[in-house]
Amino acid sequence: MRNISLIFRKGLKSVFVFAILSFLMVAGAQAQDLVEGKTLFKGKCASCHALDQNATGPALTPKMNEREEGYLIKWIRNNVELRASGDKTAIEAANYSPTEMTAFPTLTDDQIKNIIAYAKVGEPKKIVDAGTAVVDEGVSTLSLLGVIAIIIVSIIVLVVLGRAIKMLERLILQKQGIEVVEEENVSLAVGIKGLFKNKKFVFFFVICLIAVLGSFGWMGMWNTGVHTGYQPVQPIKFSHELHAGINQIDCQYCHTSAFKSKNSTIPSLNVCMNCHKAVQARKEDGQISPEIMKIYNALGYDADKQTYDKTKEKPVEWVRVHNLPDFAYFNHAQHVVVGEAAIRKQAGIKPTDPVCFACHGPVNTMEEIYQYSPLTMKWCINCHKEADISGKKNDAFYANVIAAHEKIKKGEKITPAALGGLECGKCHY
Amino acid sequence: MESNKKYWKGLEEYNNTPDFVENNKNEFAESLPIEDVLSEAGLSTVTPRRDFLKALGFGLGAVTLAACQKAPVHKSIPYLIRPEEVVPGIPNYYVSTYKGNSVLVKTVVGRPIKIEVNPNAGPFSTGTDAQAQASVLDLYDVSKLKTPLLKKEESNWAEVDAFVKGELNKAQASGKKIRVVSSSLNSPSAKAVIADFAAKYPTTKHVQYDAVSYTGIIKANENSFGKAVLPKYNFDKADLIVSFAADFLGTWISPEEFTAQYISNRNNKSLEKGKMSRHFQFETGMSLTGTNADTRLPIKLSEEGPALITLYNEITGSNLPGGALANNVNADKALKLVAKELLQNKGKALVVAGSNDVSTQTLVNAINAAIGSYGTTIDLDNACQRYEGNDAAFAELIDEMNRGEVAAVFFLNSNPAYDVSNAKAFTTALAKVPLKVSFADRADETADLCDAVAITPSYLESWGDANTYQGFYSIVQPTINPVFNSRQAEQSLLMWSDNAIQDYYKYVRNNWEKNVLPFVGKTWKDVLQSGVVSGTAKTAGSYTFGLSLNAVASSIVTSSKALQKEIEVHIYESIPMRDGKNANNAFLQELPDPVSKVTWDNYIALAPKQAEKLGYKEFDVLTVKGENGYSVELPVLIQPGQAMGTASIALGYGRSKVGKAGDNVGKNAFPFVSFSNGTLKYATTATLAATGAKNELAQTQTHYSFEGRNIIREASLKDFLKDPAAGSGNHHKHKVYDLWTTDKHEKLGNDWVMAIDLNACTGCSACIVACNVENNIPVVGKDEVRRRREMHWLRIDRYYSFNDEKTGEGVTEEKEIAHMSNLDNVSVVHQPMLCQHCDHAPCETVCPVLATVHSSDGLNHMAYNRCVGTRYCANNCPYKVRRFNWFNYWNDSRFDNYLNNEFTQLVLNPDVTTRSRGVMEKCSMCIQRIQAGKLSAKLDKRALKDGDIKTACQQVCPANAIVFGDKNDPNSEVSKALRSERVYYVLEEINVQPGIGYMTKIRNIDSETKEVHA
Repeated sequence: MRNISLIFRKGLKSVFVFAILSFLMVAGAQAQDLVEGKTLFKGKCASCHALDQNATGPALTPKMNEREEGYLIKWIRNNVELRASGDKTAIEAANYSPTEMTAFPTLTDDQIKNIIAYAKVGEPKKIVDAGTAVVDEGVSTLSLLGVIAIIIVSIIVLVVLGRAIKMLERLILQKQGIEVVEEENVSLAVGIKGLFKNKKFVFFFVICLIAVLGSFGWMGMWNTGVHTGYQPVQPIKFSHELHAGINQIDCQYCHTSAFKSKNSTIPSLNVCMNCHKAVQARKEDGQISPEIMKIYNALGYDADKQTYDKTKEKPVEWVRVHNLPDFAYFNHAQHVVVGEAAIRKQAGIKPTDPVCFACHGPVNTMEEIYQYSPLTMKWCINCHKEADISGKKNDAFYANVIAAHEKIKKGEKITPAALGGLECGKCHY
Repeated sequence: MESNKKYWKGLEEYNNTPDFVENNKNEFAESLPIEDVLSEAGLSTVTPRRDFLKALGFGLGAVTLAACQKAPVHKSIPYLIRPEEVVPGIPNYYVSTYKGNSVLVKTVVGRPIKIEVNPNAGPFSTGTDAQAQASVLDLYDVSKLKTPLLKKEESNWAEVDAFVKGELNKAQASGKKIRVVSSSLNSPSAKAVIADFAAKYPTTKHVQYDAVSYTGIIKANENSFGKAVLPKYNFDKADLIVSFAADFLGTWISPEEFTAQYISNRNNKSLEKGKMSRHFQFETGMSLTGTNADTRLPIKLSEEGPALITLYNEITGSNLPGGALANNVNADKALKLVAKELLQNKGKALVVAGSNDVSTQTLVNAINAAIGSYGTTIDLDNACQRYEGNDAAFAELIDEMNRGEVAAVFFLNSNPAYDVSNAKAFTTALAKVPLKVSFADRADETADLCDAVAITPSYLESWGDANTYQGFYSIVQPTINPVFNSRQAEQSLLMWSDNAIQDYYKYVRNNWEKNVLPFVGKTWKDVLQSGVVSGTAKTAGSYTFGLSLNAVASSIVTSSKALQKEIEVHIYESIPMRDGKNANNAFLQELPDPVSKVTWDNYIALAPKQAEKLGYKEFDVLTVKGENGYSVELPVLIQPGQAMGTASIALGYGRSKVGKAGDNVGKNAFPFVSFSNGTLKYATTATLAATGAKNELAQTQTHYSFEGRNIIREASLKDFLKDPAAGSGNHHKHKVYDLWTTDKHEKLGNDWVMAIDLNACTGCSACIVACNVENNIPVVGKDEVRRRREMHWLRIDRYYSFNDEKTGEGVTEEKEIAHMSNLDNVSVVHQPMLCQHCDHAPCETVCPVLATVHSSDGLNHMAYNRCVGTRYCANNCPYKVRRFNWFNYWNDSRFDNYLNNEFTQLVLNPDVTTRSRGVMEKCSMCIQRIQAGKLSAKLDKRALKDGDIKTACQQVCPANAIVFGDKNDPNSEVSKALRSERVYYVLEEINVQPGIGYMTKIRNIDSETKEVHA
C-alpha cells in the first residue's frame, strides 16, 4: 500500500508541478526556463540559501526582487571581483555573514537569469502539497470504508438471498402439494449438550484444541525475544524513506563509522545540521517543521538569529531498534567492508543498493525504521554457513589462511564457517 | 637429565599438615553441605499438596509476568556534536605520564580505560608496573570528594579562593613562613609554579619528603662526590650484581626500568649467546629481588652494615673495624666469594644497598668506586630525579610549625598525617598553623585536618610534565574532562598567587616552548604525539672516592649495635601497596604479594624456625611493640627465607580515611620508622606477644596442591652451557598415547600460542593487574579469597626449593618434602599460570553443554552465555586456571568496594562481556585483541604481521617474559622462542598438548655458590 500510495503521490506531485510551472511559463512576462533554474538552484545555491528565509545566506526571493538583474549576475558570477571593484552595495552585502559566497565563473548569463527567475517566483510546492495530502487521505480512508461497506452489503445480500431461496423452495413444494413439515424446534442448548455427550466428538475437539494451543505456544516460544518488525516510537519522526529513499542520501553520510568501527552509530546532530540549517521545511505560516524544531531545540539553536546556546543543549534519546545481546560481539566494518561482496551475493542485493539492505532491509522505503531481520543466532549462522567468500583469494590477509587450506585451491565454495566463523569465541567474548 | 629438585608451594605442603592432606583429598575447598541437607527435617516431611500447588501457581505466574515485556527499551544517545577524533567503537590513544613513566592511555568514547606502554619513549618504553595499570580505577573512585571543602563543609571554588587568598594576605602581612609540602615533585612546570608562588609570597619554601625515602643515597653522593643526586643505575651493563636489601626489581627507585635492564642479561636472547649475569642478594625479608637472585643469603638488619664493611675490607684489603659476621658463617663465606668475583669483574659489576642510612650508602659508594662502577654501571651525570625528598627538611618543618613560625601550609600529593613516622608530633604541630590547605582528591588523613581541601583531579584529567632523568622530559595530558568539580593544584597556586598566566595548560606549554623544545628542535604538537623528548645524554664520568671511612664505619657499627635485640623488625614497601597512596584501589588490594601471596592485609613475617622457637603458629595475632612504644596487632605469616631473629612488616596498609576499599585494611607500619642521623630508618626492634586471637590471611597460592609433579624445571648455567636442554626433560620424552588419533584440530590460518621465559619472569605481577583491567575481571574481596574464589585469569605461582639438597633422588613425592632441611636457604621460581589453551583440552570433553570448545586457531573458547555452571571443567583442568562466578560481582552490595556503582563501571572494557553469576570464565588469550588485530589487517587488505597483536599481559611485561604469536608463522617471535631447547610444557606427560611453552629457569650457580649454603 505504502508503495502504491507513494508512487501515486509522486506522480501526482510531478503532474501538478509540471502543470503549474507550464502555466507560469506561459503566463510569466519573462521567458525564462524555470525548470532549469530550479535544477541549478538545487545544485548550486540550496546548500546555503533558501527562497523565503535566511540561512547561511540571506533569503533569495526578496533579494532578487530588490536588486536589478545586471548587478545580480555580476554578484553571482564572482562576488569577490565585484567587491574588489569597490561596489558599495556589494561590500555591504558581504557583511551579512562571515562565510564568503562561492564564486560561479562557469555559469552563463542565461543560466544565471534562469536561477533568478526561479528564485523570484519561488517554489509553488505548498499548493501542490495540500492538494496531494487531501487526495491521498481521501483515497486511503475511502477505500477502507468502501471495503467494509461492500463486505456488509454482500453479507446482507447473501442472507436475504438465502431467505428468498428458502421461501421460494417452500412455495414450490407447497404448490406441488407436499406438506411441509415444520422442522422440530429442538432447543439449541439441548443440541449442544448432546454433542458434548458424544465421546468421539469430545475426543476430537480436545485433540484439536491441544494441537491449536500447542502450535501457538510452540511458535510463541520460538519467537520469544525475536523482535522482527519492532518499530518503536522515536523522539524525532525521522523518515528513512525521505532521506535515504527520495533524497538518495548515502547511508554512510550519516552512519559514518559503519565502515570503520563495530558501531554504525546514530549520527550526532551536527550531521543533521549540515542540511537542516538550510532545509527547514517551513509551513505556509512560516513555521519551521516541528520535527526539525526538535533538532534545533536539542542543540539550543535559534533559527532566526542562527546562534547556538550551549546551555540549552539536551541529548536526543533515540530508542534502539536493533538490539543484540551484550554477550554477542558484532562488528559493522567486518561485514560491510571485509565481507561486502559475499554478503551482496548471498542476500541478492542490487549493485545500486547499499550492502546494508542485506540485514536492515529496504530502509529506503521505511517511513519509520523497524527491525527487518530476526537477528537471532540461527540467522547469523545460516549466513556464515552459506555465504561464499572465495572471492577473497587474492586478498593478502587470506593468503595465509588459504595457503593452509587445499580446498580453496581446488576452487570449491568457501564459507565463513570453513574458516572458523561458527566458533563460539568468534562472536562471544 | 631431568631435574630432581623438590619444589613446594607453601608451608602447608612442605609440612604436610593434616589439614592440608585432608583438604587435598576433597574435591571442593569447602565441604559441601549435602549431609546437612539430606538429614534436615524438610526432606522427611511430606510436602502438602496445597503448598505444592501454591508454589507451582506462583512460579508460573511469576515467569509469565517476567516474560510479558515484549522488548526492553534501550535508549541510544548519540553525541550532540561528535568530536572529530572520536569514532565510537574505535579506541583513541593519548600519551601521558604516570609517576614519571611515559604511558599511553587508551580511551573509549572519552573514557580512559587502560594504560599501555608508550612505544616512543626509547629506553624508557619498559613496560608498566601494577600501580600504573591499576591507576585507571582511581579515576572512577567514588570515595573521592566531588566538590572542594572549606572547613569540612562542601563548598565551591569562589569561596575557597576567597578564603585562601584572604588567609595568604594575612600570612604575608604577618611575615610568617609559608610552606608547600609535597612528595618528590619531578614536574618542571609544577616546580616553576611553586617558584612563581614563592616570588609573590617570598616567605614560601617548598619542602619535599618521601614516605619511602632515598635521602640516604642523595646525601651519601653529596658527601662522596659533591653531587646531591640519585644516580642512574645501569643494571644492563653489570655482569655481577650484589644487592644488600635493595629490592630493585620490586620497589627500589625505578623497578620497571631496572627489570628491563636486569633481564636483558638473563633472558633467552642473552642465554643463547651463552651470557648471563650473576646476582647475589643479602637481605632480611624475602623480597621479589631476593627471589630472583642466583644466590640469596638471609642476614639480619644489624648484620647489613658489618657485611658491607667485610666486603669493603675484602676488596680493598683495608682493615676497617666492625666487619665481623661471627653468627652468620654462610654470609661470611658468601661475602668472600663475592669480593673475589667483584674484583674479577671490575667495571662490569654493581653493588647496591636499600638502606637509607648515609653512612651505609657512603660505604657502598666506596665499594663501587673500588670496583670501577662509576662511569659504567653507575652514572652520576645523567641523574635520576624520581626522588628528591629530604628527611631533615621535613623534620625541620615540624619544628617550625611547633614554634608557631608557619602561617600557611599546603599539602601537594602528600599525606604526612598517615605516612610520616611521628604522625602525632606532626598533627600537634599542624594544629598551630592558621592556614592549612590540602590538594588531596579525598578527605584523607591530612586533608581531614586542613581548613580547605582544594580537590585535585587525577593525572588522567590533568596537564603536566615530568623530568625523571636529567635531559629526559615527558608530558602529562588530560584524556577526559575533570569528572568532579576539581581543579589542578598548580592551577590553584597560579590563581592564588595572581600569576600573569592563569591557565595551567598555557603555563605548561609556555614552559616547554621556552625551556625544553628549542633545545631539541621539536614542536608542542610533536610532544603531544610522542609524549617524550630526550636531549643527548652526557657521558658518564668516573669518580674516585677520597673520604676517610673511619667515622663512617663507626657510625655503621653503632647503628648496627642498636639493632641487636631479640627481634629486629624490617619495615619495607610491599609491591601491591607501595607507600599506601593508592590504598583505595581494589585491584591493588587484591593483587597477591608476589612472595607471600597474601591479599588485603599486611602481616608480620617470621622465619619458620623463629616461629617455632617462639611458639607461634601461622595466623596467630601478635602484639608487636616497637622500640618507640608504638604497638599494633598483626597476624603471623611464616616466611621461608626470612632471616632468623628478624621480622618484616609492610608499609602502606592501615589507612583510616582513604575510602571504601582501603579503609582499615591491615595496620599502619609507618610509626615504626625512626629518624636518626638525619635520615629515616626503616628498621626497629620489637617485642612480640601473642594475643590468643587468629586472623586467617587471604592467601591465593595455598589453594591447590600440585601433588609433587614435575612442573618447574630448572638448570644451572654451567649445565645449560654444556647442554641447552639441560633440566628441561626434553631428552626423556614420555611415550604418548593419544585418544584422539583421528580427530585432529585443523589449524587453518593462525595457531595462537605463547612462550613464557621463566628466567625472564621476575614475578612482579604487573601482568595480573593488566589482565584484570583488560578483561573486566572482578575483585572479590578478602573473605572470598579465603574461600579460594579469587577471579584472576592469570596468576603467578611461586615455588620454593632448597639450595642445599642432594641431587639424584628422583621426583619428589609429596611426603618426602617434610624430611628435607634448612628452610632459611630457599630458592624461588615464579611461574605465570594461565589457561594453556590445550589442543586436547580436558575441560572441553566434560562440558555437558559444549560451552567450552576448541577453535581452528588454537584457542580454547569459553561461551559464557552457554555455560550452565556445572564446574566440571574446572575440576577437570589440570592447571586449575578456570574461575567460577559465585556472585554478580558488579551488582551485589556485598562487593561494595569495586564495581557496584554506575560510576566505577565506566572503567569496563566495552569489548569484553561482563560475566554474570553462575558461569565459568578463564583466560581467552585476549581474544578481543586478536579479533581487532585481524580485522584491522583485513580492512587494510594486508597480511597479519607478527607483533600486530599483543596480549595485555605480554604488553605490560617489563621483562618481555611473555611472547604471544602465531605458531604457523615460522618467523614469528613465538615460533623462534618455542624452538629453543629450553622449552618444556607443563604436565606434557598427560598429553593435553598445551599451547603455552615454558622455558627452563637457569640459575647462575656453581659449586662455589652452593658451598656457601652448606
